[in-house]
Amino acid sequence: MDIIIYGIINSVSLALMAVGFTLVYGVSRLPNFAHGALYILTGYLTWILMNRVGLNYVFSAIIALGLIGLIGAAMYQLVLIRVRGMPISEIIASYAIGLAILEGLRWGGLKGGTFRLPPFVEGSVTVLGVSVDFQRIFVVILGATLMGALWLFVNNTKLGLALKGMAQDERAALTLGIDSDRMAVTATAIGSMLAGAAAIILLPLGSIAVESGYHVLIMAVAVCIVGGLGSWTGAVLAAFIIGFAQILSVVYFGAHYQAVVALLAIVITLICRPSGLFGRQKELEERV
Amino acid sequence: MTGKKKCKIVSAVILAFLLVVSTAYAQKPIIIGAPLSTAFLYGWAAERGIKLAVDEINAAGGVKVGDEKRPFKVDVIDTRDLEPGVPVSEALLAVEKLILEKKVNFLIGGPVRSEAALAAMPLLAKNKMISILTTGSLTPKYNETVGKNPDKYKYCFRISGEAKWMVTGEIVPCLEYIGKTFSLDRLMIMVQDVAHARAGGQILAKIMGGKGWKVLGEPMVFPTGTTDFSMGLLDAKKQNAQVIIIWMDMPESAILLKQWYDMKVPALPFGIIISAAEQPEFWKATEGKGEYCLANVVNAGNVPSEATPWTMKFVNAYKKKYGLEPEGYGTSSSYMAVYVLKDAIERAGSLDPDKVVDALKKTDMMGVYGLIKFDPKTNQIVPSLNPKEGAVGTIFQWQAGKRVVVFPQSIATGKILLPPWMKKE
Repeated sequence: MDIIIYGIINSVSLALMAVGFTLVYGVSRLPNFAHGALYILTGYLTWILMNRVGLNYVFSAIIALGLIGLIGAAMYQLVLIRVRGMPISEIIASYAIGLAILEGLRWGGLKGGTFRLPPFVEGSVTVLGVSVDFQRIFVVILGATLMGALWLFVNNTKLGLALKGMAQDERAALTLGIDSDRMAVTATAIGSMLAGAAAIILLPLGSIAVESGYHVLIMAVAVCIVGGLGSWTGAVLAAFIIGFAQILSVVYFGAHYQAVVALLAIVITLICRPSGLFGRQKELEERV
Repeated sequence: MTGKKKCKIVSAVILAFLLVVSTAYAQKPIIIGAPLSTAFLYGWAAERGIKLAVDEINAAGGVKVGDEKRPFKVDVIDTRDLEPGVPVSEALLAVEKLILEKKVNFLIGGPVRSEAALAAMPLLAKNKMISILTTGSLTPKYNETVGKNPDKYKYCFRISGEAKWMVTGEIVPCLEYIGKTFSLDRLMIMVQDVAHARAGGQILAKIMGGKGWKVLGEPMVFPTGTTDFSMGLLDAKKQNAQVIIIWMDMPESAILLKQWYDMKVPALPFGIIISAAEQPEFWKATEGKGEYCLANVVNAGNVPSEATPWTMKFVNAYKKKYGLEPEGYGTSSSYMAVYVLKDAIERAGSLDPDKVVDALKKTDMMGVYGLIKFDPKTNQIVPSLNPKEGAVGTIFQWQAGKRVVVFPQSIATGKILLPPWMKKE
């Protein structure tokens, strides 16, 4: 039972880390390699607002999410738009921005393990005989809610449908009057906010550390490659595959193999199914 | 004497005075290179320790080299070797840069990761560069390598502890004391996937197994950067572990302790090189969830105690300069290394590496954590449980927001406590 419970928690955590990355890629074909940096930046902004400005947790989180959305939009509008359509340049530019943010934070004093966000509710509970802390239960509930809300947004709002249209066929979307640049900047802002939301939900489990930014990026990329770049359904499925595989590897092979699982999944996917489980050649309509 | 002549004499005197003063101030500084992983506790605390000692020494007039007094200057370089995924070659490049480009006279500090410290040894030997390791590297291979080839590696010293003594001389006796006091004998070992932790975990399992403890399985190895320890802790709970050894220097070990608290795992956490729990801010950062965690900080002075008359003097000076108590492993040893180097240079009367090596080998100084002297063959500081006989270590426990020294008995300021959910009815 502990494998199932912690497998679900780990999988939802991975899905949260990856969903913003896949949304941005699905809409704008932009691999946002600053994703991990935006994740940590949100955590740090929330911490600053709580501990230096003195705001409460909820306000700090909301303001940090708003700011990270603006930063994401500015990042696209000021830098990434200039290299759009040039994949290598997109990767280099977005990774450079991420590197600048993370190393800038380190230079600015974000060191060690003492920067933390408090859990939403303290304590733990026994679920089907397995001890689980409340924050991990919140991860599953909020993760599922966030993804459900995202699905509703994409399928039931004008903006969401426009994003979906862009993801499916940019040229066709253009002929229908959808402004591709506007949609791309919107997707980057939403993707950044999703990275931020993941940070606010997941960081109370650990600490706000620069290294986590790199870890989140690696996990997001692994999930998206296995699921099929840009496929939201694929990302969720891949998160569950990798999430459970990691937990199983801890139980049956040893904890140190869990780091290998994600990278092994990338290698196997690239060999057996290069475009991932729900990759482009499979079903375009699956995107977003 | 005419006014003109008087004026000339006064001017000459002033000029001579200025010349003397400027010469004194222009004495070429002795440059200490400090290769440290500055984003991590063992790096930045060491840097602070070195700079505190350098400031004190310079304020007192500097280092007497032959007939002249020269100031110390510190050149810190970030080796990044504690960061996950950073290759050893990065640290080697940093050390090489200090030696060849920055032209430092001595090295104090790291490399911090054992693998990098070992890899740097041939470079130090080739360049006749005296290095005093103060932090991070605990591998016994370091002093063993010096011992096997003392002529080649005579420039490599270590003024902080090494894993073998730490395990056999401090941790095992402390565990035995815990076992006897609380009737505990079921041990689980969790280690980080780095050389010193893996080796230390294996040694500890073997020794404690031989002492009648039930060691629960092989040491669990967690990769650097792990953020979820639930499965390991659930396993500890299932197997009725009573003491959990946590040998991890990654900051994420704080997550493990938070999970341990939230799950109320009925086992006493015993951290070794557990940087996150060593820091004074740990209590606030975890809202007290790390209470009862034991932590080894290698040398006395990294936590307040009365090990020697110099200990609290150092602790107070550190607090005055940085606004907090010494933060953990590597702080007091880095501070002491500068004083030991000063002493050796003054006795050698020169900066010549071979002469300073000879002087360092003859070091005999009562320092912050006891008597400082090096093993003549391996250049490793001589350890002891008594500060009057050698370098003494420290194991403390978090109790009500304070770091209370609980081992060794000679410097203990309190007794070990069990968490309430472990106490037997």
